Formats: sequence, structure tokens, C-alpha cells
Amino acid sequence: MIGVFGYLTWRSARNRIARQIRQLRSPRYLAALLLGLAYLWFVVMGQRPATSAAATADPRVLELIGAFALFGAVAWGWIFGVERRVLAFSPAEITFLFSGPVSRQGLIQYKLLRNQLLILFNALLWTLILSRERFGVSAWLRVISIWVMLTTLSFHRLGASFVRTSLSEHGRLGARHRAVSLALLGAFLIALVWGIADALPELAAARGLAGSGFLSAVAAAFDHPLPRLLTYPFRIMVRPLVAHSMGDWLVALWPALVLMLLHYVWVVRSDTAFEEAATEVSLRRATALASGSVRASTPRSQPRRTLVRLSATGWPAGAILWKNLVAATRTRRIHNVAVSVALAGGIVALLSFDPEGSFAEVAGWLALFWAGVMVITGPQYVRNDLRSDLLKLDLLRSYPLRGWSVVLAEAAASTLMLTLLQIALLGLSYLAFLGNQTLEPGLEARTVLLLLSLIFLPPINLLGMLIQNGAALLYPAWVRVGVGRPGGVETLGQNLLMVLAFSVLLALTLLLPATLAAGSYLLLRPGLDAWALIPAGVLALLAMGFEATWMVEWLGGLFERTDPGAAGITA
Amino acid sequence: MIQVDGLHKLYGEFPAVQGLSFSVAAGEVLGLVGPNGAGKTTTIRSIAGIIIPTSGRIAVAGHDLKTDPVAAKGALAFIPDEPHLFEYLTVEEHLRFVARLYRLGDVSARIPGLLAELDLSDKQHALPGELSRGMKQKLAIACGLLHDPKALLLDEPLTGLDPVGIRRMKGTIMRRAAAGTAVILSSHLLHLVEEICTRVLVMQRGQAVAFGSIAEILAERPALRSRKLEDVFLALIGQEDEAGQS
Repeated sequence: MIGVFGYLTWRSARNRIARQIRQLRSPRYLAALLLGLAYLWFVVMGQRPATSAAATADPRVLELIGAFALFGAVAWGWIFGVERRVLAFSPAEITFLFSGPVSRQGLIQYKLLRNQLLILFNALLWTLILSRERFGVSAWLRVISIWVMLTTLSFHRLGASFVRTSLSEHGRLGARHRAVSLALLGAFLIALVWGIADALPELAAARGLAGSGFLSAVAAAFDHPLPRLLTYPFRIMVRPLVAHSMGDWLVALWPALVLMLLHYVWVVRSDTAFEEAATEVSLRRATALASGSVRASTPRSQPRRTLVRLSATGWPAGAILWKNLVAATRTRRIHNVAVSVALAGGIVALLSFDPEGSFAEVAGWLALFWAGVMVITGPQYVRNDLRSDLLKLDLLRSYPLRGWSVVLAEAAASTLMLTLLQIALLGLSYLAFLGNQTLEPGLEARTVLLLLSLIFLPPINLLGMLIQNGAALLYPAWVRVGVGRPGGVETLGQNLLMVLAFSVLLALTLLLPATLAAGSYLLLRPGLDAWALIPAGVLALLAMGFEATWMVEWLGGLFERTDPGAAGITA
Repeated sequence: MIQVDGLHKLYGEFPAVQGLSFSVAAGEVLGLVGPNGAGKTTTIRSIAGIIIPTSGRIAVAGHDLKTDPVAAKGALAFIPDEPHLFEYLTVEEHLRFVARLYRLGDVSARIPGLLAELDLSDKQHALPGELSRGMKQKLAIACGLLHDPKALLLDEPLTGLDPVGIRRMKGTIMRRAAAGTAVILSSHLLHLVEEICTRVLVMQRGQAVAFGSIAEILAERPALRSRKLEDVFLALIGQEDEAGQS
């Protein structure tokens, strides 16, 4: 049976690559590939610094940072669950394999085998991305180290998802499971803190040292027996990556391989849970693709609430904006985010008046940080727009709407959602520092900044969304279209690369507004002082408006010219 | 109502449709038939404005699809064989969504009648994931009919419908045609075409091989007069051997 799976995997991958290569006949795809390769060469490969942060860092520090990152990924998987795209069988796979003489273990092995291609590809990407950092022995050994680490992590999260599904099927997943997971996590953290308690005075003393000195002190603290034992499984996954010699690497590799094999055995033996999980995921995917599967039909459906009722008159493309907002409000994630932000806002606002106030301060800085990070990462994750609707291009194209209005309505929906999320985080941050009398800038200035964010975030986010939607329209064969996006540890490398490419494009787009604003400010400051910021800001807004208008017009034309079949967009 | 002149569509070097010209008047039902790959779907999708023709002119209700696409699309409805629905909109919300797109002010008055006509009244708050394949198809049809289109384009409209649904669908098409709608229907079901189409366009390799009412087509080919419809179709597309075997 392995031979059959190997054949299916190999031929599918080969044909897919051949198709991607055929796409390169299109000048558009070829130009993008050459630009991407040039970018990789100059930015990643070409600029090898004499020393880098990682090269000079204590390997114990790198090992500890890596171990904690892995611990975070594992804990997240147990508490919140992970997206198990690896388990999703296509309708063809369900037809041929589920009904064929194939054991459940065989099916797991097949899916794991297919997933290996993705992990290997991402291990290569990570090696490229990390090529400026000189830790590890060599690039090739780094590929193996990253592959072992990602595979183990992927197996673990998959195993955890099996357990969660099994508990869910038997009605035991819920608040109690989450409480147990959180209790275990709490016990782990308490044991860690207790383990390093002896080293706390040294850590306190090291607070005044430079960053690397403090981190070395932290690494030394975690070298005590108990924390070392607790973090051991995570450390052995990272250790081959930070080994400095061939000998060290070989010594570090075999425990990592043993751990990976143990995970493999665990996952392969979880066949019953797998069956339940795979069926659930595949059915959900089939439904998402609207490929005709039927969920249990309700005898008489109940009315569903919408935040905004769609009026029959007005801008026709407003219907698309409304549809996307309704879709967003009907996912559980948006409810969780809204409740979490509201709760956190109330708590930090209360805590901000505490004389110590350190918790609220940390929460405030974190919220501020994430609101900023979302300018870059948000447009990748919030995708209730053309990227979700492109598989229904036939339908969209048959509507009596111009292309520009479809593009604008689609991008506006994601822009609105992302902006609301950022404003919620900024509001959280504002509340967290509400009682803080010593922080600079003061409360008045912070209020002005919050109001300014309401003005500047929407156009910035709109430009980001237009770039993302433009990429989907220009390169539908490369950009994932449809519901969901490539997720999981397997695709971290791909996603990071996409974020980097998007950051460059957004920076280029914002260059003109920023230059105009800076230039006008410098020109007008002698006469107007700080008031010069107002015309500078207006000029930046006008420039962003001009860019957005041009992009919407251009993408609208592209939308009208895109032939679904020729572009390879199929449901 | 629908005017197609010299329609060409090339996919790379491959000609999917070659020099197709025809018109469909108000109240007429045109059946598009032909073997797989004959160019029926390409033709119907070109008229719907989904595919851009390589050359040729298409006009719907007097509006040129190239120069005035919004007005042309506003006058037509395209109902594909595979219903494309939005998974987070209920049945009723789909209709309200379409009403806004087509600027229909009196949507609340139209919805109940249409839902009743398609037997969807008790599913108005259901999401597509809660509907059977046939009900999804009915919803797609309801969305297409909501704005009373002057031109109706149907690609395999009976796919997934149960016998009652099929009968209702046929009735709906004939009622719409009787009310003045121009209908183009692409189907492999020859008995359906015979039953409800006033004229037939038989396509083969992107070209029209026969066009007219079934009586007119047979009148031009006396040798086929006594043959069954299926045999006539096979003979028209050059599958004489298959026709002889049946």
C-alpha cells in the first residue's frame, strides 16, 4: 500500500510542479518569480554580516528561546486546538481511499507522507531565511535539523488534536478539558518558577546588564535540575539546530530523532481518533468548498440575527460588503475576540489605577504592540474578501457591477474588520494606561494619538488589503484562494516569506504619502510649528486616497478581464 | 432580446467557440445541445459576461455586453449547474443580497411568493450548509429569478432536483417565457429540450451544426424524419454509428 501512496504523492507533486512551471510562460508569473528570487538573493543570501545576533548569542540562550517557542506552540495546541489541515482529505481521496481496501493506519501514513513534502519545503525556506544567522554547523545540516523539529512539532499537534477530537466525540471536551489543560500548564509554570527560585537574586542582579548578559543569566537559571528536566523534551528538539560542530550535531540529533519516532508511533496508533477527526475535518472542508455535501437538515430553521440589516436601496456593491461582514460575525472566532477584548479592557482599566499597575502596563504595551504588528500581519489573516470569494468568480462576474466596485466592496470589508480589531487593541492599551500619571506622552496626547489612529488606520489597512487582493487576482495559482489560509507549523516558512514580501510592497506603497507628508511638514514647520502636522497629515491622506483609487480602478479592470478557467481558478 | 454575432472564443490556440451567431426573441426558449466540449457552457458563460469573448458582439435587452456591461447584466440572470452560494448567508439573506445588487426596492413583497414557488418557505432562515443539494439548486434559481430578468440563462437547470422539483422548474421556465423572458437553456436532457424549447441550437466543436425548431431541423434533413430524437441528435453531431446501434 505504501507503494500506491508513494505513487499518488509523487505523481501529484510532480504534476503540480509541472503546472506551476507552465504558469511561468505567463510574463506576469515569470516577472514575479524573478523578482522574488532577486529579493531572496540580495536580502537573504547576499548580505552576510560579519557577525549577527545569533552568531554571537550564547547557544544555551538560543536553545532556551527555541524551547519556549515550541512549548508555546504545544500548549496552544492542547488548550485551543489547532487547525488540522493535514487531516483534510479531498473529495477524491475520500471516494478512492475511504471506500477502498485501505487500513486507517495506512490512511494516516499517507497523510503524514504527503505532509512531509510541505514540511521539507518549509525547512528549506527556513534555512534560506536563517542563512544570515551563523549558528549551526552547515546549511544542509540545518535543513535536517529544522525538518526534524517541524515534523516532531507537527506530529505532536496532530496527536493532541486526535485526543481533543476523541474527547469531543465522547462529550468530554469543553470547559473541563480546557480547565485541565490550563491547570497542567499552570502547574508546569509554577514548577518552573519554583525551579529557578534559587537563581532569582542573580536574575535580579542581572537586570541591569545588557540584553545578552541578562539572557545568559536566564539561561543559567534554567540550567538548574528541575527546569532543565521540565524543558528537556523541547530542548532536544532545538539542540541539533544550535549545535556548533559535526560531533555535537550527531550527539544532539539522535535524541531528537527518537522523540520524532515516538511521536510517529503515537500518531499512527491513534487510528480510532484519527477516523473521527479526519471525517470531521474533511466534511467541514467539503462544506466550506460547497461541493455538495449535506449536513443534517433542520426541519424548520430558526431566524439568525445580523448586526446590520441590508436595505434594498443604496450602493449595489454594498451588498458584497454586508455579506462579508455577516460572514465574519457568524464565525465563533469573532465572538471570542470581541468577548476577550471587552473583558480585558475592563480588567486592565481597573488595574491601571493600582499604584503598582505593572500588570496593566504589560497588557497595555502588548496590546499596542499587536495593534502595530497587525498592520503587517492583519491583511494576511483577515481575508473575508476577494481571496475568499474568488472561487465564486463566475457568480461575482455575472452581477451587474463594475469591477472596481466589486474590488472596493471586497477590500473594504476586510479593512473594516481589521481596523475595528486594531482600534479595540488600541482602546485596550489606552485604558491600560488610563490611571498612569507619569507616562509620556501624557493622557491628552495619548487621546489625540488614539483619535488620529481612527483617521490613519483605515486608509493604511485599505492599501494593505488591496495589495493582498491584487496578489490573489494577479497570481491565483500561487495565492491560496477560498476559505482559510495555509496554517500550522508546516507552513510557517511560507507564511513568513509572504509577510516579508507584503511588508516590502506596503512600505513601497506608503513611501509616497510618507515622503509628501515629511516634506510638507519640514517646509511648513518654520511658519506653523507643530500645526504643520495638520497639512502634512492631510497630504498623506490625500496621497493614500489617490493610491487606493488608482489601485481599485486597476484591480477592477483586472477583475473584469480575468477568465476563471484560464486563470486556473476552480472550486 | 439576446443577440449574438460572430462569437469567437479561443483558449490559447484551441477554438472553444467559432463564429457563432444567433438571436433569441422575448418569450422564446432556445435549447443549446451538443456533446461534451462542444462549447455550450463557453457560449452561455460568454453571454452571462463571465468569459470575455475573443471577438464578436453580444447584446442583452439592447445593451452591448462590452460597452454597457452593467445594464446588460442587470437584464439577465445566469443559473449555473453547480449552485454557488455564500455559506454564511441564509436563504432569505441571499435574496436580500441579490435584491440590493439589482436595486429592487420591493424585495419584501417578492420574497414570500418566490420561496413558495420553489418550495423553500420553511427554509428561509437556513444556511446553505443545512440544505440538500436540490434545495441549494432551488435557492440559486430563486436568486436568478428574483429580479424578473428579461433574459434567463440556464446551464443544466435540472441537476440535483427531485421529480417534483423538475416538474416545478419546467413550469417556472415556461411561465417566465410566456411572460416575455428570453430563455437559453443548455442541457444534455433531450426530452427536456424537446418538451420546453421553441428552438434548438446544436453545437459541435464550437460551431452551430443545426439551428431552428425541431420541425425545421427535420424538414431540412428528410432522412432523419422517422428517427428518434436521440438518433437525430447523434446524426447531427456526426455520430452516425452510435445512432445506428440504438
